[in-house]
Amino acid sequence: MALRVVKRRNPPAWSAAAILVCALVLSLGVSLALLAAIGKSPVHGLVALWNGSFGSLWAIEDALIKAAPIFLCSLGLAVAFRMQVWNIGAEGQFALGAMGATWAALTFPHAPSWVLLPLMLVYAGLLGAAWGAIPGLLKVKLKANEIITTLMLNYVAIFLLEYMVYGPWKDPASFGFPVTPEFTPSAVIPLLGVGRLHGGVLLCVFAGVLLWAFLRYTRLGYELKACGEGAKVAAYARMPYNRLVLFVLTASGAFAGVAGFVEVSASTGRLMTSIMAGYGYTAIIVAWIARLRPVPIALASFLLAALRVGVENIQLDMEVPAAFGDIMEGLILLTILSGQFFEQYKLVRKGAKNAPAPSASQETAP
Amino acid sequence: MIEEYRGFDIKSLQRPTPAPPKKTPLIRIRGLTKRFGSVEANKDVSLDIHPGRILALLGENGAGKSTLMSMLAGRLVPDEGFIEADGGKVRLESPAQAIALGVGMVYQHFTLVEAMTVAENVLLGQTDSFFVSPPHMKRRVAELATRFGLDIDPGARVADLSMGEKQRVEILKLLHRQSRVLILDEPTTVLTPAETRRLFDALWSMAAQGKAIVFISHKLEEVMAASDDVAILRKGRITAVMEKNDIRSKSDLARSMVGRDVILSVNKPPVELGEEVLGIDDLSGHGLKNVSLSVRRGEILALTGVAGNGQKALVEMVCGLETPPRRKLFILGERWRRFYARAPWKNALSYVPEDRKGLATAPNLDLVDNVLLTTRQGFVKGPWLMRSKAADATDGLILDYNVSPPRATALAKQLSGGNLQKLVLGRELYRGPRLIVAEQPTQGLDVSATEEVWTQLLKSREDAGVLLVTGDVNEALNLADRIAVIYRGEIMGVLDANDPSQVARIGPLMAGLAGTEE
Repeated sequence: MALRVVKRRNPPAWSAAAILVCALVLSLGVSLALLAAIGKSPVHGLVALWNGSFGSLWAIEDALIKAAPIFLCSLGLAVAFRMQVWNIGAEGQFALGAMGATWAALTFPHAPSWVLLPLMLVYAGLLGAAWGAIPGLLKVKLKANEIITTLMLNYVAIFLLEYMVYGPWKDPASFGFPVTPEFTPSAVIPLLGVGRLHGGVLLCVFAGVLLWAFLRYTRLGYELKACGEGAKVAAYARMPYNRLVLFVLTASGAFAGVAGFVEVSASTGRLMTSIMAGYGYTAIIVAWIARLRPVPIALASFLLAALRVGVENIQLDMEVPAAFGDIMEGLILLTILSGQFFEQYKLVRKGAKNAPAPSASQETAP
Repeated sequence: MIEEYRGFDIKSLQRPTPAPPKKTPLIRIRGLTKRFGSVEANKDVSLDIHPGRILALLGENGAGKSTLMSMLAGRLVPDEGFIEADGGKVRLESPAQAIALGVGMVYQHFTLVEAMTVAENVLLGQTDSFFVSPPHMKRRVAELATRFGLDIDPGARVADLSMGEKQRVEILKLLHRQSRVLILDEPTTVLTPAETRRLFDALWSMAAQGKAIVFISHKLEEVMAASDDVAILRKGRITAVMEKNDIRSKSDLARSMVGRDVILSVNKPPVELGEEVLGIDDLSGHGLKNVSLSVRRGEILALTGVAGNGQKALVEMVCGLETPPRRKLFILGERWRRFYARAPWKNALSYVPEDRKGLATAPNLDLVDNVLLTTRQGFVKGPWLMRSKAADATDGLILDYNVSPPRATALAKQLSGGNLQKLVLGRELYRGPRLIVAEQPTQGLDVSATEEVWTQLLKSREDAGVLLVTGDVNEALNLADRIAVIYRGEIMGVLDANDPSQVARIGPLMAGLAGTEE
């Protein structure tokens, strides 16, 4: 049966949800097949994944906590992506934020928490923003491609972080482990009193609402959206394109920086290299899956965080390699991205009666 | 483009061998009609294509030339009518079917693989065996090139070639596929003068070997120099088919190309002239030569000419998309730089561009967001955007300008060309402009939308001066108070639109004849 591709006139409203479900099922299927291929039971794997991610309150709490930094990074990225500015550097901006928070925590260890926590937030936001502003300036002044510069700055940031924990900030009492001293209690984001959830989750809700309102109700938010429709429209409408580029890269850096603050303060309580768990890259996937909208970003962050937690469980339970989690994450992104093709196009049997001619319906008069 | 024929006179080019007489046509086009929505791009077009002869298809932008040839090349399927080849009816539903029949087209945008060699591009998808032998491929392509006078190195990488050489590769691709009819869409726009000359030599060589050539153009000199037959397309219909030797003068050709039939008579009461809103003083560069124009409040100045004679550069500079040389352009009495440093959104300049989708509007945004594109400064309070106010204003525009579908939540891409244009015009007039630049404002619009746009433009004269850039002489005559004719970046003359003796000069001026018949 020969098939041919036809453009959909009006994509049906349910298609996005259907595609998401199909993509998840497909990527899960392929992952389980991989398990089978290395001689592990796929059924066991599925059970372990479920138990690890949604099977217990503990697991769900863990996923929520892990979702917080992903969500914050992803929110920032969504702002940049809206303008078609491709910031791949959330990972590095996250690292700078973590360093900023640590800097504040180590400099003022005895400040009360109502002073110290906001201070850490500001340090983290500013350093993250500065790290985002560098590729912004390079793009505006020298026309350097931001994909390359943001990506390269990630490595610089990670090495910088390693330098700090191996050198100036190393805990003398750590027996040589590359970690900073533990933060004083006033530098740790307090728990909310609901299970193990901490104030960082509340910060996420606040940031999400703030960003949503910004994009919806401010002139700048509108200009970002309109600029994302193309440089030609932006020039016609006399949008300040360069200023906006600088703004989005700085803003997304600040969001990632705050994510770094949440991670060191609430999760680890000190700066160490293991905080660089790839949240900044997962955030890119999240932003894409959610099509840059805040509420779906929250859902997708939780979904991918749950996946991380679930895969950790598979690793422990079934002794599969750690790369398995990355493979699953990659599969989900690939299937969803390729699935989006079917929102615009459909397959029609060749020679089907009422199928429109492939290009005729789309052509316009010259 | 201005210096296009420097170094030799295109009129001196002569076909080396005479064209063969017309016998049975290779292709007969009968009654083709193609509609896009409510717009008829082609209406009942019939045309014969003869082997060994070069047919020029002449017409304005938007006259339907490319649509017609796309149907012949299998890219578009006609709504009515049919095509006959070798005396039998054929149905062409894909370019592959057209190529199998021997009909191939060279498009304005080349479809070559830049990283591959000339020979590889020519033979792409054409090799008969699984294994390819580069020396053999090169030899085959070299033979083909020599036979038709298309001088090219088969081993060269396409990325390293000039536009003219790339075009030769495209032609070779068609020749290798045994094409008997070669269609070239505006082939000379990308060429240097020397390359144009070589292209014509190659065309004659191919015609002498029995190929039928159709070449689409809107440049009169080229048509006169290169072709054997000329078919003129206007508003989607064939208005004349003649042999070149029967054509008396270029201005004849120009006249039948732009037409003189006045279809709509618009009421044009004179408005008292006010201050100068646009001043252009001896502007050169970007393809323009010593352009001086002035538009005053209360008048419409039409800038007319065949497309591609410098109109685009002029509009882009006036509208702030390109930077003009210093002290040559004055908007609302201010120097260009000073005006664009502030560029107030209200009571200043409005631009209704030719490109409605993608420049004047963002296809994926709704109508409110599209209205906000140029009016957002009017709906802000501090950092906040008052979107509900903008939505009310959009509803008002939709009502006043009769936009359909009448929903502010519709996306711009869901609107037809005419409705989109009404929305753009409404938005731009909402800004209360004192200078309006309208570029081909009714191109592709049906009669009723055209009339609405015209009425609005005429009404706007009361508060503004209008620079109307149009290739449609009827439009210029109906709307304008004065008509400036542009040719190769030069203003050939500024005529009084109400004086019949001056109006008669428009055709010759558009063809670059300074009022004298050839």
